[in-house]
Amino acid sequence: MEDLKKASQLIDQSASTDDLEKARVEIFGKKGLLSKGFVKLKDLQGDEKKVEAQRLNELKDTLTQLFDTRYVEIKNKEIEQKLKEDALDLTLYQNSHQTAALHPVVETMDRIIEYFVSMNFSIETGPLVEDDFHNFEALNLPKNHPARDMQDTFYFADNSLLRTHTSPVQIRKMMSTKPPIRMIAPGVVFRRDYDLTHTPMFHQVEGLVVDVKDKVNFAHLKSILTEFLLEMFGDVKVRFRPSFFPFTEPSSEVDISCIFCKGKGCRVCSNTGWIEILGCGIVDPNVFKSVGYEDVSGYAFGIGIERLAMLIHEIPDLRSLFEGDIRLLEQFR
Amino acid sequence: MIVTRSWLSEFVDLEGISDESICDTLNSIGLEVASLKKIIIPEGIVVGKIISCEKHPDADKLNVCEVDIGYGVRQIVCGATNVVDAEYVAVATIGAKLQDGLEIKHTQLRGVDSDGMICSASELGLPKIGEGIMILDASIGELKIGEPLQNYKTINDSIIEVELTPNRGDCLSILGVARDLSAAYNREMKLIDVKLYEHTSRAGISRHATLESEEKFDIELIFALVNIDVLRLPLVIDLRLAFVQEEAKDSITAITLYATLSTGVIIRAYNEGCFAKEDEVAKIKISKNTQELIEVLASGNRCSIVGVNQFEGCAPIVNGEKVFIEASYVSPQNLAQADLSKKDIPTDRYYYNTSRGSNPDVNLGIRYTLKLLEKSSNTEIYDGFLTHEHKRENTIIKVSIAELSRIIGADLEKSNVISILKRLGFDVSISNEDFLAITVPLFRADIVNSQDIAEEILRMIGIDNIEPRALSFVESYHQRANLDEYLAKKSIRYKSVGAGFYETISYMFSERKLLEKYGFETVDANLELLNPIVEELNTLRTTLLINLLLAAKRNANYSKRTIPLFEIGAVFDNKRKQKEKIAFLFSGNSESENITNSGKPKIISAASFIEKLGSAIGIIELAPCSHQNGLIHPYQSADIVIEGKLCGYISKLHLNAQEDFGLKDTFIAELDVNALIKRKKVASAISNFQGVYKDLSVVLAKDIVYSDISAQIDALNLKHLRSFYPIDIYNDSSLKNDRSLTLRMFIQSSEKTLEDNDIEDVVSSILSKLEESFGAKLR
Repeated sequence: MEDLKKASQLIDQSASTDDLEKARVEIFGKKGLLSKGFVKLKDLQGDEKKVEAQRLNELKDTLTQLFDTRYVEIKNKEIEQKLKEDALDLTLYQNSHQTAALHPVVETMDRIIEYFVSMNFSIETGPLVEDDFHNFEALNLPKNHPARDMQDTFYFADNSLLRTHTSPVQIRKMMSTKPPIRMIAPGVVFRRDYDLTHTPMFHQVEGLVVDVKDKVNFAHLKSILTEFLLEMFGDVKVRFRPSFFPFTEPSSEVDISCIFCKGKGCRVCSNTGWIEILGCGIVDPNVFKSVGYEDVSGYAFGIGIERLAMLIHEIPDLRSLFEGDIRLLEQFR
Repeated sequence: MIVTRSWLSEFVDLEGISDESICDTLNSIGLEVASLKKIIIPEGIVVGKIISCEKHPDADKLNVCEVDIGYGVRQIVCGATNVVDAEYVAVATIGAKLQDGLEIKHTQLRGVDSDGMICSASELGLPKIGEGIMILDASIGELKIGEPLQNYKTINDSIIEVELTPNRGDCLSILGVARDLSAAYNREMKLIDVKLYEHTSRAGISRHATLESEEKFDIELIFALVNIDVLRLPLVIDLRLAFVQEEAKDSITAITLYATLSTGVIIRAYNEGCFAKEDEVAKIKISKNTQELIEVLASGNRCSIVGVNQFEGCAPIVNGEKVFIEASYVSPQNLAQADLSKKDIPTDRYYYNTSRGSNPDVNLGIRYTLKLLEKSSNTEIYDGFLTHEHKRENTIIKVSIAELSRIIGADLEKSNVISILKRLGFDVSISNEDFLAITVPLFRADIVNSQDIAEEILRMIGIDNIEPRALSFVESYHQRANLDEYLAKKSIRYKSVGAGFYETISYMFSERKLLEKYGFETVDANLELLNPIVEELNTLRTTLLINLLLAAKRNANYSKRTIPLFEIGAVFDNKRKQKEKIAFLFSGNSESENITNSGKPKIISAASFIEKLGSAIGIIELAPCSHQNGLIHPYQSADIVIEGKLCGYISKLHLNAQEDFGLKDTFIAELDVNALIKRKKVASAISNFQGVYKDLSVVLAKDIVYSDISAQIDALNLKHLRSFYPIDIYNDSSLKNDRSLTLRMFIQSSEKTLEDNDIEDVVSSILSKLEESFGAKLR
């Protein structure tokens, strides 16, 4: 009993893993308490020896358990202490990151492109400096057509011009391929207009689908654009209004119910409850004629990106989009 | 185009249809509504009749009126000078609250009792009409004394502004908009009463004027002659012109303008004096001028260009004179061919209508005008007209119901199609079972083919009522080239953002002077922009960097201390050839101010800029700079080489430019996007044998560029040399014009575990190469 008392005292009084190691040597070591006991065994005989041996084994088990428990206890304490010493307020570092942001207009264009690519539309591109034929003439906008008023054009000294819409890409595509065609043409376009709500350059995504005669009709156009707008804006109402574009007939403008006031009427929708998003229509026969297509049918649409981006992100000022203003851009991180 | 409900109601029955429904319908048929404004006259305003009107005993400018307001007579003091001419007026009775919140109470004006107020138009919330009080007349409806003004629909009107598409010249009139509404609501158009009073003793126009023409021109002209005695403009005309924001400088112009707006026919008035001297027969002549436009002349003087303008001095001046009324038509195609924009010919208010297609029914127009004159004055109308007619053929379109159905994508009913077309003024005959022969009215010159007809049907049915259908498409192999390019660019954009650069878009323009100042090429003069919008954007950009620097300057002005920007976009060369570039700019602090750097981040350096650039665009090689412009730092710049191809440059911003743009230390880079896209990656086998790192320090001349050293080592093609890179340079005064360079090599074999002599071989080969090429010495 003396042994047990002394040994457990040794274990209990250890305050560190170092103390505990010393205690271990004193108790379990070669010259330790237990060994001494076991050595004495050889002086004993018969039952006495047996009893003593059993006692020593039990003592060893008890002490081992005591030791292990104490060891875990002390080890945990020490780890906890080290962790505490290592304490650091990570929230202090939350402004250390370096990420920037995509431009909201390009990011919006990405979303549009991704939708139509997933619908198996091909991506087409064309030159920014265009000629009268591709930009106007072939699109049923002959010289002096009143609809040319709608597009104030930048001209060059050699009579070429900056494209006023992405539609010339349609013409180039149709003149270089046979139908069927299913394409979008994303890119920048130019109009000679510069004020609070107009910039001389902005972005469009044009769409064109052409197949054999009588195959493509207005109901198809309505189907894909409705689905697209629901995909972009979620739970909105979509409205088609007849309109006029020289290159489509019938033509339509498409509105969605105002995403800010849910159609009740507010400043953004000029109290109409509706926001105009895009223009579309059935391709005018004159356009097909000018690219030499016969017996085809098709639809086309055009989406202005800046307006969409401004709506989605509630950006107040159109011109700020072209100024590389980090105060605006950093909000999209 | 602005219309009003009561005005429309003169042409089509709108009874029982709400204003909101009218707006919805206009929108759904393609006449986009920009605004709806309802005029509501406050309560307590009634029709009053002035029984007497006398000067105020104590105030020169005031009149004391006895006014019958139906349920009694009130004494009202009025300050307007025109009250003396008035019979019926709008009286605000005691208790009435006016638009501006003023409540009418019993009052005394200079000792005289006044029980009410005689109102002007603006006091009632109407647009301003003339000076003084509003004098009522029967044109607004039967005048009943004491009747609340709220009950007059002509005054409590709803004003609808419609935005017209350029093809709908026919809707630049009340008649045209009414016709579309009649088709949309399937309601009859009202008959327009243009029957003039019968006079037996009318003098004929031909005794006063003749019309001659050099040839038969492609125009319609019709002249009437009237003798106008005291013309008093009916209030309803005054009101409606004010509602639709039109102004006329005199009463006759107001009548002709009103007739033009009502019918869409261009109506002008001329004083007789411009055609004839007193008592002479007026000789009106039509001829073509040198600009292919048709002119109306009198005694050799130009009076007007048909559809374009009217020359000064021809407009009627005073009441009590003979006036010619002219209705005219010229097709927009003819005007377009003449191309006025290049000829500097002044155009007037009506040119907008004629260039988009005015109503060719000149007979209707002139009779409508004469009827108005007859109703509002003691006008003597001379018998007969002088006319110049042009026979116009109607377009006839043959189309089947099936074809229309196929364009729209819905099954159309024949009876419905016919009914819509007839209401829109088309003539329809059924040529056989399915085919329709459709005669297009002359006022719809925009309708030329079956798709145009389909549009008319579609907008009247309502696109919202068409069931969407999915298009089945035979899948074909799509060219992926553009998609791959798009995806590659997208990946670069995302990585650049991850590396801390903000994506920006700038205009594809630049200022020529600025490009020249910094030594960039500019578009050749014979290819240059003719009509730039502002000087700062007067040429196409030949670099993205100037725009990025301008953006950086703005950000610096907004106190931004870290300015990391990039842009992908087109630039042009001097031959205006388009090329896509990507440019990066980093200005100021290299990282955010934070706890690690104690709020004092390091300013951007070449090393950290190159590191960021690498995160954005991947592995690049740098070589001594071969580019030159005013932005490039002559001693801290390099070419960017990708897969052996020179594709751009990187540089610290030249001090001069840094000062010009007001920036701190700034680094820039610009390179071809294509070089980044066409990167093909090929893997080589990975060695599992142990490799070793070895350092080698040599001393060589300061001016030897590292890229030359690495090129020489590369050229050795050492089998076991996996990679090498510089890790230290050092120089002090003892080294004079030399510097010490330490290279670290990673040496590994793909076949065996290296032995000492293998490693020694590599090191000694490099050393002897450096000795031989650059005079390097082991340190």
